[in-house]
Amino acid sequence: MIPTLDITKDVCPMTFVKVKMGLAKIPPAGKLNVLLAEDALKNVISSLKQEGHRVSGVSRQESAFLIVVEKEGERP
Amino acid sequence: MNIDDYKELKKGGMMRQKEAGRFSVRLHIVGGDLSAEQLRAICDAAEKFGRGTVHLTARQGVEIPNVPTESLAAVKEFLGTTGVGVGVCGPTVRTVTACQGCRVCPSGVIDAPELALAVDREFYGQPVPHKFKVGISGCANNCLKAEENDIGIKGWIEPRWGGKACTFCGICAAVCPSKAIEVSPDQAVVSVSLAGCIGCGDCIESCPTRAMGEGNRGYRLYAGGKFGRVPLLGRKILRILCSPEEVMAAVRSVIEFYRAEGRSRERFGDTLMRTGFPALDSRITERIAESS
Repeated sequence: MIPTLDITKDVCPMTFVKVKMGLAKIPPAGKLNVLLAEDALKNVISSLKQEGHRVSGVSRQESAFLIVVEKEGERP
Repeated sequence: MNIDDYKELKKGGMMRQKEAGRFSVRLHIVGGDLSAEQLRAICDAAEKFGRGTVHLTARQGVEIPNVPTESLAAVKEFLGTTGVGVGVCGPTVRTVTACQGCRVCPSGVIDAPELALAVDREFYGQPVPHKFKVGISGCANNCLKAEENDIGIKGWIEPRWGGKACTFCGICAAVCPSKAIEVSPDQAVVSVSLAGCIGCGDCIESCPTRAMGEGNRGYRLYAGGKFGRVPLLGRKILRILCSPEEVMAAVRSVIEFYRAEGRSRERFGDTLMRTGFPALDSRITERIAESS
């Protein structure tokens, strides 16, 4: 089961801080669902890409987006 | 006032104050950049020749107020040893402003300070019909307010959509601040209206699959902006320019156009209101073609 992190009520820079904390809890190549508001999309996704993570799925959830983040690294 | 003091005054950069016999000495600064040594020298000069205060101007300039007439030549000589020159006033090309650009700022697209130095080297203090200001923003965030300058320059990234990797997730359209992107999953097409694009590159940065890539990257020019009593916003001119050389050729031909068409004490924006922007565009395009 992929854990889900809801950051729809957070603002920058807490949005990315929480995603980083969420990613710290999962193994390399593991997945994390992140529910985020439209305003946070650009900063969160560009930061994730910069740090080598991958966004492997996107779906729209009413006023928010649910993205699937794949943590960088090789599966242990 | 002796003859030497009078000569110093005539060169400009010494702003007469309300208080008789006192001047605010304007310094020559490019893009708001000063070394620590220069800053120290400015502080020392303010204490030695002024009343120990320094004024930061609206356009990244520095002035030392309260300098008496008889010290004007001395303050200039004192600062000259650290490479800080005295500024200009009157109908000339003024301080070139710039942000820290792509070498410092994560958002930076162009090397704004380097370009500011090039513009400054060629044009600072040069005569034109009225005051003329150049401002350079490293990216679309436009911290340096390109449109408020006679010539404004912005770093610009134009997106190009490549269909293959696209999942039609809609993030590019959602993050686009000018709503210039339309995603049609049914037709498997993402269309970008470049006319509406503001060159921020947010769609490229946010695309999970890198289907939205970079098209043109470079410099976007604006002409005819000003602030003051009757503000005018500069208007976008030309295509995206791709090199500093092209930008310099464009700036050169804008100034040449202003010298030819501008009336004395008429700001460039007002000149353009008379001549129309197409006249300027075609003149610059000719010059850039000649230079490349």
